[in-house]
Amino acid sequence: MSDKLEAYLEEISHFLSGRAEREEILSEIRSHIMEKAAEGPGEFTDAAIEKAIAAFGPARKVAEKYLDHSRPIIDPAYKRYLFRYTTLLFAAHTLLTIAAVVFKEDFIIFPFLFMPRLGVIEALMYLPTAFLADLGIVAVVLYFITQSGKDVKLPWPKFGVDLDEVKPPTKNFWVSRIATAIGAVIMLAITDFALYLFARHQTIFFVNLDWTDPRPLFTPGAGRRLSLIVIAGFALSTMTLLIKLFTRSRWVDVVNSAISLGLIGLILTQPFDDLFAVRIAENILPKIRYAAKFTLLFIALMTTIELIKNIVIISRRKFNSVTRN
Amino acid sequence: MTDKAQNEPDIGTLETEMNRGFLHILVLALLEKDMYGYAMVKHIDSLGYKVEENTLYPLLRRLEKNGWIASKWDLSEDRPRKFYSITREGRSLRSALLDVWKNQNRVLDEITKEIPHV
Repeated sequence: MSDKLEAYLEEISHFLSGRAEREEILSEIRSHIMEKAAEGPGEFTDAAIEKAIAAFGPARKVAEKYLDHSRPIIDPAYKRYLFRYTTLLFAAHTLLTIAAVVFKEDFIIFPFLFMPRLGVIEALMYLPTAFLADLGIVAVVLYFITQSGKDVKLPWPKFGVDLDEVKPPTKNFWVSRIATAIGAVIMLAITDFALYLFARHQTIFFVNLDWTDPRPLFTPGAGRRLSLIVIAGFALSTMTLLIKLFTRSRWVDVVNSAISLGLIGLILTQPFDDLFAVRIAENILPKIRYAAKFTLLFIALMTTIELIKNIVIISRRKFNSVTRN
Repeated sequence: MTDKAQNEPDIGTLETEMNRGFLHILVLALLEKDMYGYAMVKHIDSLGYKVEENTLYPLLRRLEKNGWIASKWDLSEDRPRKFYSITREGRSLRSALLDVWKNQNRVLDEITKEIPHV
């Protein structure tokens, strides 16, 4: 028996793994190839077998023809729900995460969820994993619904944001490019000005606008750190706008959001004690602290939603293009 | 690319779709006499129609699963051959499918008669 034929059948067998009638299928294919190879001119040779194998087609394609009519992993009718439900589940997950951070409490919704008390950085690291877990849970549920073969009408609330209906900007090409260019120029000017201030005074935060005698808002160490983080944020926005002049890829927004989240996380890790260089009344200080924390967490939440939205849209497009092919 | 090539539609995928139904009727019609897979490929080929070898066998398997054809291995020759034959249910199905096919042809003939240069 030809080694080539055995290797070919072995390869098909690999792709048919799990099928009860695998041996029977392989016997059919073996019989066909042997018949065809024996029929050609001359003797029954390896070359004839190779030719017969080539005519039968690549192993993966052959195996796919046998698997073609089996039930899909997720029925096409339910594919839309994969991202819809993941979005809802992840939104709930994000809210609980924020609650765990703000209230410094463990959350247990037995037996579905355990949310330990989290710090801000831990929460930012936890959210992408939570998204993947949510996607997995929804996929498993839809898988079982598909395999049941029943016509299940899945609910979808009217208030839910349908990401399928998120359309690319409809503005005129040049109008949107000019707006981006103006934004890039403004951000570049702000970044330059901030760098100039930082080079001169080691901070960009002041309590007065007297340029001959500026008074810094923060103590030197904290002022330097926070200024650098904010300048990095300005530079990031400038870079993003400049890149968007050439490409509208959503990956640009994904990278922007991810780095922004990192920068917000860095600001939140800065110690609050001995932050201000000016005297602030003791009773106002905790209020400023909570207001700052709340504002930063709100910005982080908005950025995370934007990040997830873009990842979902990119994934949907890839998913759709794969299923179309 | 020439204008002609640009204007000619790619019928590859559509042809595959059309062949799917046709192959069912073709195989059920052929199996009035017991045949093995490779003999069927050659016979169809001799009639001027090309069937993809790797499409025929999965189709035979599905038809057998539904009880429309039956199979048995013949081990009496040098090489083992799997012979297929049509069942009673297969004959009923063939008859019903041929009716559909003839009706489709009639409708298409009626319509294309009215279109010039077709």
